Amino acid sequence: MHDSVKSTFHTYRFPYGEVLPSLDELARYLHMDGDTEHPAYAYMQERLDELATSELQAVGGYAIGAVDAVDMQGGLLTVEGVTFEAGTQVCGYLKEATEAALFLCTAGPLFSDEAHRLNAEGEFLEAYIIDAIGSLAVERAMDKIHQALKEEQAQRGLKITNRYSPGYCNWPLKDQRALFGFVGENPTGIELSESCLMHPIKSVSGVIGIGEKVRRRAYGCVVCQNKTCIYRRLVQKE
Amino acid sequence: MNEILEKLFTCIEFGKINTASPYPPQMRGQEGAMELTKQALDAGIAPSEIMDTALIPAMTRVGQKFTEGQVFVPQMLLSAKAMNAALTHIKPFFQSGEVKRKGTFVIGTVFGDLHDIGKNLVCMMVEGAGWEVIDLGVDVSAEKFVAAIEKHPGAHVGLSALLTTTMTNMKTIIDKVHETHPEVKFIVGGAPVSAEFAQEIGADGYAADPQDDIKILESFLNA
Repeated sequence: MHDSVKSTFHTYRFPYGEVLPSLDELARYLHMDGDTEHPAYAYMQERLDELATSELQAVGGYAIGAVDAVDMQGGLLTVEGVTFEAGTQVCGYLKEATEAALFLCTAGPLFSDEAHRLNAEGEFLEAYIIDAIGSLAVERAMDKIHQALKEEQAQRGLKITNRYSPGYCNWPLKDQRALFGFVGENPTGIELSESCLMHPIKSVSGVIGIGEKVRRRAYGCVVCQNKTCIYRRLVQKE
Repeated sequence: MNEILEKLFTCIEFGKINTASPYPPQMRGQEGAMELTKQALDAGIAPSEIMDTALIPAMTRVGQKFTEGQVFVPQMLLSAKAMNAALTHIKPFFQSGEVKRKGTFVIGTVFGDLHDIGKNLVCMMVEGAGWEVIDLGVDVSAEKFVAAIEKHPGAHVGLSALLTTTMTNMKTIIDKVHETHPEVKFIVGGAPVSAEFAQEIGADGYAADPQDDIKILESFLNA
């Protein structure tokens, strides 16, 4: 077992203008690239322009702890005495980690609230687009936090892994409770429902491994069963 | 096929809502689903023929293209908008009984879960296939499903879930409904759901996409 290095929550805030996808990126995500005459295109541009000037922010960050053990066979990851049933796949990626950053990030309630309103009005296409913007915005905010963590750890001579989340790569969603318990007090305002659904919906959570010997790799879509995962869609677009 | 109905089919397939709609560009300035449906009715074509010859087959075509990866969600949603425009003229005939629906489909996202994109797509496509759709929304309790079944006797039920923690609530709902209405048939769907899981929890069908829902509902009719 390593000595405790548990940190408080490092917070990052990004105005929407810094984390919104570009029109091209959004169009690719929606499989609309090339079809610029489609009415969805004008709507995407209009909403992106409007959101870019919003004073709202994406909020996220992480708490770092020492990795006590990685049980490869049992698929268990223990950080500062908290055990996560992360599964054999995620444990494999984290086996060399000496520390772990448990993260949370949210793009806020606007996207889901707006999608809900538009759906109720029968504007399903518009609702779908705003929902997609929210999905990409929270991922882009988390990309920035991921990058900040990478730079922070590089100063210590350490590397970091990809990010892995409960609900993906066979890591049970119920571990959200342990993850939120580990992270503790934080300013994101994300709440967990009884079914471990995060509110606001456009939120992400998970773990990033830290260590001298860890590395980032291509997402392992081949071994994952989740056909609707956002990472699969992003990887396929690259 | 009648020329108006042929045009109407094309409007639904490509999402041409009305004359003012600029999309698709090759149909700019032409009449859309809204006007053509009215024209068909004015020309004396029976509303049931409009449904069976143009609207339902066009949405079926869209569903097939989606399944085959030829179109994606935005295109499908635009077709659904065109379909809705057409249905504004047809709906009075549903109410008068002149056009018969194939049946009633009660659908909702199970309690504990708030995801609704997949469910909404299924609603649109199933309605476009000629069914009455009763959308109970998201976070729907077993009791609400029971109440809907009592209000719509003979209805089939669709359950949607996007989380591994909420897909298990499907069984709770099926069991609760079957306590008092053992004849009700269930179709389940959603990212974590599989055919094996559907069988395990006593569902009658597993739908991987909206077109599957329609096929399974048709199979219920023919059973």
